[in-house]
Amino acid sequence: MNLESVLGTLESLGYVGHTISTEEGIILHNSLMILQNENHFRNTFFWGRIFGVEKDYYIAFGYVKDVLKGRVFYYSIDCINWGLLPNPTIHAKKVTPFCNTKFQGDPSLVIDVLIEKEEISWDEPLKKAIMQRLKEEDRLSVTVHTITYEASVVPRGGLFMRPDGVAVENLSFEGLTLLDSRELSSYQHYRLPIQKWNTNLLTRDDYNYATDFLDPLDIDIPEGCWPVQILAGDTVAIVKSLYWPGLYFYHTVETPKYGFIYFGTGKKCLDTTFMLLPST
Amino acid sequence: MIYDYDIREGEEEGEQEVATLNPDKEYAHAKAFLQKASSATGENLYDHLSDVLNKILAEKPENIIDFFEEYSRKVKERRYRSALDHLEDIYVPKQRYELSTKTMALFKPIKMEEPSTVDPGDLELADMSQNNMLLLLFYFEQAGLGIPRAQMFSLIVAMKKLIHSQPIASIRFWGIIYGLYHNYYIVETDLKEEEYMRRNESFHAEPTGEGDEAVAETAPTEVDIPHKITGEDEITMRLHQLAHEQQLGEDSKFPRVLPPLPLSLYEPDPKVPSEPSGVGVNSKVYYVTTDLTGTWEQLPDCTPEEIRIARQIYKAFTGNLDQEIITYPEFPGKERNLLRVQIARISAGTHISPLGYYTFGGETGGEGEEEEGGDEEAEGPKTSYRVNPKYDPVPLKDLTDGSMSFWVHHVQYILPQGRTSWWSPIPAPEEPDEAEAEDLAEEDEDEKPKMAGPEPETGPPLLTPLSEDAQIESIPAWSARISSSIIEEFALGIVRSHLWPGAYCFATQGKLFQNIYFGNGLKYIVTNFSPTPLPPIQQDYPQGPEIMEMFDPTGAEEEEWRIAHLPKPKPVGPEEGEEEEVEEEEEEDEDDDDD
Repeated sequence: MNLESVLGTLESLGYVGHTISTEEGIILHNSLMILQNENHFRNTFFWGRIFGVEKDYYIAFGYVKDVLKGRVFYYSIDCINWGLLPNPTIHAKKVTPFCNTKFQGDPSLVIDVLIEKEEISWDEPLKKAIMQRLKEEDRLSVTVHTITYEASVVPRGGLFMRPDGVAVENLSFEGLTLLDSRELSSYQHYRLPIQKWNTNLLTRDDYNYATDFLDPLDIDIPEGCWPVQILAGDTVAIVKSLYWPGLYFYHTVETPKYGFIYFGTGKKCLDTTFMLLPST
Repeated sequence: MIYDYDIREGEEEGEQEVATLNPDKEYAHAKAFLQKASSATGENLYDHLSDVLNKILAEKPENIIDFFEEYSRKVKERRYRSALDHLEDIYVPKQRYELSTKTMALFKPIKMEEPSTVDPGDLELADMSQNNMLLLLFYFEQAGLGIPRAQMFSLIVAMKKLIHSQPIASIRFWGIIYGLYHNYYIVETDLKEEEYMRRNESFHAEPTGEGDEAVAETAPTEVDIPHKITGEDEITMRLHQLAHEQQLGEDSKFPRVLPPLPLSLYEPDPKVPSEPSGVGVNSKVYYVTTDLTGTWEQLPDCTPEEIRIARQIYKAFTGNLDQEIITYPEFPGKERNLLRVQIARISAGTHISPLGYYTFGGETGGEGEEEEGGDEEAEGPKTSYRVNPKYDPVPLKDLTDGSMSFWVHHVQYILPQGRTSWWSPIPAPEEPDEAEAEDLAEEDEDEKPKMAGPEPETGPPLLTPLSEDAQIESIPAWSARISSSIIEEFALGIVRSHLWPGAYCFATQGKLFQNIYFGNGLKYIVTNFSPTPLPPIQQDYPQGPEIMEMFDPTGAEEEEWRIAHLPKPKPVGPEEGEEEEVEEEEEEDEDDDDD
């Protein structure tokens, strides 16, 4: 969510029930402005909030030149003091999916993660159950990066690939039309594309490499894991992720207002297939 | 080529060139070229460039050079967009217009059916003073929650309309359950006494016993279930008939007597009767709508069976009340039933109040004294409470204390059985239970069933502090926060449930507190959901020679058997003999049975 839209979230995020309170909004707006200046960011975004038991983590990120490359994440537990979120380590990436406790709210906490003997998704077969140590800060980093990678959303045309290969925010973005906003293919993953460049182009009739270089959301399986709701008399589009409950994308139709935010516990919901209706 | 042209340089180099490079002429040429219309569209570049430049200069965007192509394309697109391709002119988008029309209808004054006879004060309408949603929104916002202000306003009006059209004694906004396609706005109501009595009269009028009432309660399933049972019965009857024919032996077309068909030994658990309206899990009545400008729909009361099955499934709401719930184990009902069950579960788990706000006091009559006797307090919990008039607000520091001992549950725990009060499956104590239930309907909701079963299920009594709640994998079930660290004078205490993500409660430093749920209606699961495995396969035929595999007899053995059977029947082969004996015995048995 853009820094400018942190204030007055009731009319955009209110459609999903969670907002940023006035006090949080004011503090976030100003402290992130300072952060942006210190880090020479082109733009700063409020990423969301991960609910912990003792404290909550507030996450923000900014970029210097390219929107997709070199994003720098910051976290805070009071919205005032921001700490650099380390890049995910290989160890943490491996262990985090096995960690099913809640975040505590203490970044220096080290927890023991038990990996069962029968675990089949661990990279090597285990002879007995093993304990792995994991620092909460590393776990937070992996969680934030994973959510950003899997579930952050941008509307088609929101990002623009310049001829020199740098992705920037499209200043001339005027919003999705109502018809487009009902289509899941009008929303794209806010990450470096993982599909081949021409795959994403060929799935559209009206392709334009400058805007269609990202992966659309409709490549995700199962079908229906991204429910799209058009609310308030066809003026607001809300896209939710069932895999990451708490990840909300909002877009005011036919305006350049859009953003995504995460309000959740940082736990991936692997039960999506059970939750959906069986396809007929 | 004329970009770098400098007049003075030209003069120095030669006069002939100057003569050919007449700037006016070059300009006219270039302009003529640019104005040349495209043979395909009839557009020309000159007009297009001037449009684009015009747009750029008018809008003055930053870094325009990076988006020049985009601008150019947009200007072109706009030129071809026809605004008048509708038969009828459209001034406002259709849906937006519909929303406005419906919203305006909501704001029309409520029409009274008998306008003059009743004094407005005597209408006995539900108290709306606790439902100033805009005031609550002010607090929700501080807690990081909220729905758009316009919706909150519509909600007040919609609730006001509801209390005029339904027999409601009290009303409260319960929360929102977000579905895949639509979202449910839910209000929690107490109906008027007469209404509960009317419902429970029909509840007890059923002569067939309580088991059937559970079915009757949920209207949509009423038709389906009997049909299914009769269908099964037909099949089993036919099968038994077939088996009977087979076993008769001689005059049937089967050459050999077959073993009897296996009988299904499955016996469903005794059906737990549901609690009457106004008691236990059905103590409140819920109205939902997906559209605040539309009509409210009342949810049916929930049955213990639904509650037990809802605990075993994990299904997202769609937003359509009549959606079939396709799961294993089979859920007896539609989405409206599941919604009602989840609301009951969420309420039981997450409705909390500051310590001391509610009190058991009040019914100081004989009933209270009866209860004094020892363990009764723990087993047969009191079900009613009232607002404590001497409530002294709990300090904020205590409200946001991590131990959570200053918050109490004020909705009864739902037992594993699916009721708040335990029902004994043994029929003997059922009579007093039922009698009491009748009493309950007449009196207030004071339920004290006799604990006569072998191991009655018990739950924590009402108004138990949250600190007693079970932990989920060493995580407390609740987290408390303070809404503001800067302006502590006006800060709120906010409590968040970990068990039901989306359930919140806030309390001001005064006497105001409110429970709210903004979530998807699903419980938190520590590990991933795994569906209930299918029951083990039952053995159908008893192990015996009829179903055992054995070697085919050789030619010699067959011959021997034939010879042995020719003059006088005498058992020869060991296996054949055995089989024959068994068959003979069976035949005899059956003959006996038939006689």
